[in-house]
Amino acid sequence: METQRRAERELDFHSPWLSLIAAVVALVAFGAVWLSVRGQHPYVGPTALGLIGLYLAVLVRIATVVYAHRRAKAGVSGRSVRQRRAEGAALVVALVAVYVFMGALAHVGASDAVVYGVYVGTATLIVLGTFWAAHCAAREDWSGLGVAMAIVLVAAGSAFAGPRGVWLSDGVGLCLVLLAYGAVQAWRLRTPHGTHVS
Amino acid sequence: MSADTLDPLIHVPARLQIMATLATLPAGDALAFTRLQTMIGLTPGNLITHLRKLEDAGYLASEKTGNGPASRTSVALTHRGRAALGAYTETLRGLLNGL
Repeated sequence: METQRRAERELDFHSPWLSLIAAVVALVAFGAVWLSVRGQHPYVGPTALGLIGLYLAVLVRIATVVYAHRRAKAGVSGRSVRQRRAEGAALVVALVAVYVFMGALAHVGASDAVVYGVYVGTATLIVLGTFWAAHCAAREDWSGLGVAMAIVLVAAGSAFAGPRGVWLSDGVGLCLVLLAYGAVQAWRLRTPHGTHVS
Repeated sequence: MSADTLDPLIHVPARLQIMATLATLPAGDALAFTRLQTMIGLTPGNLITHLRKLEDAGYLASEKTGNGPASRTSVALTHRGRAALGAYTETLRGLLNGL
């Protein structure tokens, strides 16, 4: 039913463009940190400039998602809105816990390579990916679930690249996964797949 | 199966559009009147008329919040409405498969 398909598109904030922006943001964010640490011997962690690049890119990502979300979900109220707020609060707590744990690692004497390299580059993405996976599974969004699980695997695998390589591996891996997701979304918009009538 | 089995209340194009649009929302969610109007492209008066008919049949539930200019009306498909739309589309599919 064309009306239903059009309504689904209008109410869904996900889009190929948003995935493309996310892919570029991932490459820029992790690339900026990688550029700031690649020549460090011994490894001490991202420089202020690298972190500024990372946080600016993350801010761009947050701004684009908030804009797209507000536009798509304008006028929608009810259970899903309350669920999203609860999920957001839980995600914030989980991310704070990642950094609290990072502080604990530094406190007990773990090396800078572990604390400011392998751990933070990996744990943050694993938490974000796991949250996204749970969100998608609850809504039976199987392509989103696949992407989220791929992100978790990229993050875990990148840890083997070491404290410098983890940033590059995360950035390139995340970029490729998000580009693939964008391609799937674009393909879906051109076909009637996923259309259902309740 | 005949065309007589199609729910005449939903069969009107404007009302079918309303039902189909609201059916895309997850159960428990509602859509603001103004957003629904933007998405469907009906005039406010026309939309209100169709919404009333659907609400009288128990297919929709509306809720008004706030007072005066800040008031907001939201509409949502009821379980009965969702089931009626499902039955309507199944009947339509059955009719079209016979072609």
